[in-house]
Amino acid sequence: MKKILALALSLCLLLTAATAFAADLLPAGDTYPLKTDKTISWYSQDCLNPHEKYADWKESPFHTNLAKLLGVNIEWSFPTTGADGGSFTNTMMADPSTLPNIMKGYFMDSANMLLDDEVIWDLTPYIQEYAPAYYAWLQTNPAYDRAMKTDDGRYYAFGFFREDGGWNDSYLGVVVRQDWLKECGLEVPTTIAELENVIRVFNEKYDGAQFAFANDGRFRQAGIQGAFGAYATGYVASDYGWYVKDGKLGFGATQPEWREYMKWMNKMWEAGLIDQDSFSLDDTSIKSKSETGKCGVSYTSMGQLNLWNKDMGDDIWVGAHFPVAEDGSISSQFGGFGIGTHTTVITKTADEETMKLCLQMLDYAYTQEGFLFWNYGVEGESWEYGENGLPKWTPLVADDKDNDPMTKYNGATWGNSCIQATNLLYLKNSPVAIAANDAFFYTFGKDEYFADPEVEAKTLAVTGGWKWPVGITFTTDESDQLDLLGGNSNLNTYVAENYAAFITGSKDIEDDAVWNDYLAGFSALNLDKIMAIRQGALDRYEAR
Amino acid sequence: MTATSSRYHRLSFGQRVVRDWKLNKWKYLLIIPVLVYLGLFCYKPMYGLVIAFKNYKPTRGIERSAWMDPWYAWFEKFFTDPYFGRLIGNTFTISILTIVFGFPAPILLALLLNEIRSSKFKRTVQTITYMPYFISMVVTCALIRVYCQQDGVISDVVAIFGGTRQNWLMSSEYYRTIYIISEIWQTIGWNSIIYLAALSGIDQEQYEAARIDGANRFQQCLHITIPGLLPTIVILFILRMGSILNVGYEKTLLLYNSNIYDVSDIISTYTYRLSFGGGTPQYSYSTAIGLFNTLVNVFFLLATNFISRKVGDNSLF
Repeated sequence: MKKILALALSLCLLLTAATAFAADLLPAGDTYPLKTDKTISWYSQDCLNPHEKYADWKESPFHTNLAKLLGVNIEWSFPTTGADGGSFTNTMMADPSTLPNIMKGYFMDSANMLLDDEVIWDLTPYIQEYAPAYYAWLQTNPAYDRAMKTDDGRYYAFGFFREDGGWNDSYLGVVVRQDWLKECGLEVPTTIAELENVIRVFNEKYDGAQFAFANDGRFRQAGIQGAFGAYATGYVASDYGWYVKDGKLGFGATQPEWREYMKWMNKMWEAGLIDQDSFSLDDTSIKSKSETGKCGVSYTSMGQLNLWNKDMGDDIWVGAHFPVAEDGSISSQFGGFGIGTHTTVITKTADEETMKLCLQMLDYAYTQEGFLFWNYGVEGESWEYGENGLPKWTPLVADDKDNDPMTKYNGATWGNSCIQATNLLYLKNSPVAIAANDAFFYTFGKDEYFADPEVEAKTLAVTGGWKWPVGITFTTDESDQLDLLGGNSNLNTYVAENYAAFITGSKDIEDDAVWNDYLAGFSALNLDKIMAIRQGALDRYEAR
Repeated sequence: MTATSSRYHRLSFGQRVVRDWKLNKWKYLLIIPVLVYLGLFCYKPMYGLVIAFKNYKPTRGIERSAWMDPWYAWFEKFFTDPYFGRLIGNTFTISILTIVFGFPAPILLALLLNEIRSSKFKRTVQTITYMPYFISMVVTCALIRVYCQQDGVISDVVAIFGGTRQNWLMSSEYYRTIYIISEIWQTIGWNSIIYLAALSGIDQEQYEAARIDGANRFQQCLHITIPGLLPTIVILFILRMGSILNVGYEKTLLLYNSNIYDVSDIISTYTYRLSFGGGTPQYSYSTAIGLFNTLVNVFFLLATNFISRKVGDNSLF
């Protein structure tokens, strides 16, 4: 025990010294295979399903290999195909006596209740002994540790982390057609004025081409508000619409800066520079618009950009930095901390001995060997080391024409209890998509980010630092109150509706009376009371 | 005959059931699957309605979840919701418009089809009008959205007449029209089937008699066809009133956007967003709204039935 602690502590020191390649320094997983004849049931909502080519997990290399490497039989289960994952999990939870031993889903919101009702295990007394690698990993970053325990310090979950922190959490942003830029003699825009100019020039030169985007699911959630000093777009949910500044909670859509953002959007709309269909269309429709030359500036993810370029060829679309103000400042942009909101918990259907076994099984993903396996599969089978010393796919994966063939062998997709390697994302995406993601994330420059700690801190503050942190928990009483107050749902309806009305001009954003009316409307939606409850939860989180 | 029936009425209810069972037991067996279906899928789940009065948590189940204090807390929340008035207004408006324009449409189609002599043409028209009903709602709504784009078909037509191109689903004034017209387009053929069936049940001798009396086709339609259809129309109308608040949420969900919430947001889409709009699903609250919805529907069903029984002779019960 002492030895493990000492190891963990020295590791902490090492890890904090070198965050960039933290995963290389994970402890070795030499206790595996565990050799037991127990069978552990393991449920996973939303990801970790066997690849679509397999009838069930018994055929899936990842699932069978994991059991072999751990030395434990695993009985996997997933939501029925086509079912809504969340509802499926909730239905299962109705009978706590029959739950699988290990469950992955969204448990952060209800963690306190699940612990108090004894549905899941409080891992605090066991975590250091039976999950030393994971515990050591959590200690490398205060945000990781805070996210995975409750306010009173109870550890209850295994989380998903990105090796690179927030890089891939900024996976969407402004994209531009570079062939048009070249033809017009323009640069990829960096300021909001430059962006406006590019949209205008494209509109004049290319037969009325417009700025087109999928509002729902993309632009309304992520937006380009930062250039105006604002902190929100038009979407309100637990982790959207709110911001934290010096420990104080704010609501973005009531700020004067947000009004400036809306004024700009309205100006663009009135000038006919924003495609009217943006409010009712998705990425696929935007793609067909761009193929017919109706759009040269859009807003999408690196995955979509990959797809658009694949069909249009010649890497036509490139990513741009999040637009900044004239003086180069930006308050916030789409991003995050590289921590998943899903968690994996151990339920009380596991007795104490079984729970300890589960801890060891889950801990594997945070050891060196486990990290490699979860990200790439078995060495020599699906991957080998390349010339640069990093893993690369063997022909088994590289030549496989199926969708995402690597997911047959690996498990490090969004949300699973593991650390996702940055290299895996590089292997998965095209160079132009990676360059786009670099542009989205390194708002103040990539080289500068690595050279200058100040730029690094600035980038982190803008991408994730302002956000509602992952892992805040409400008490049962608080979540009941939030339900009765209407919570995010009514706020979201109100903001979404007015956001649209301001942009399209059906409500005049320039008119102070209209704006004050809009602000007054929040009192009927209990914004103050909701803020007070959230501030309380935030304070407790900060104090963890 | 009289003697038999009076003897029959002297029997108690139980005795009558036993007697009837003996006479018709094989016919009763035929009903069993339907009864099982109704029991399992319509009555058994009704128990779950109690969560409208509880603070339901999935892990605690129905039994162990706490009762609300006061028990009507969720209903109170709905009635005092800032969006309550708008939701009720929109739901009724869309529903009533659908009934006013959508209910007579299949009757008219059936009457028109009935007057067609060429059976080939009749069948072609029928097939074409049925078709939209069999297209999945998602596909139909995707089509409607594409037609309504700023470079879609509707804009094309408007542009020919000198109007401005726009996305028609972005303005509150057109949404209802789009909804109702597409609704009629989707259902007119399918709904006319039952009227066509009723039409074929009208005694042909009546037409013959009318022709001898010198009635023209319009008069035949007015005095024979329509009265012959009336019972079917009334029954269907009563049933339709029983779902007055059940405006199809799939369609609204697929067509609306945040810019036209003021005319398009209805009770069912509101509850949908409560459950799946990001955040913890509010099962109890949604159930309470659903229960309220049902009560209103039942009220309208009974009211229509009552009025119909008083005014005419047709009623469900």
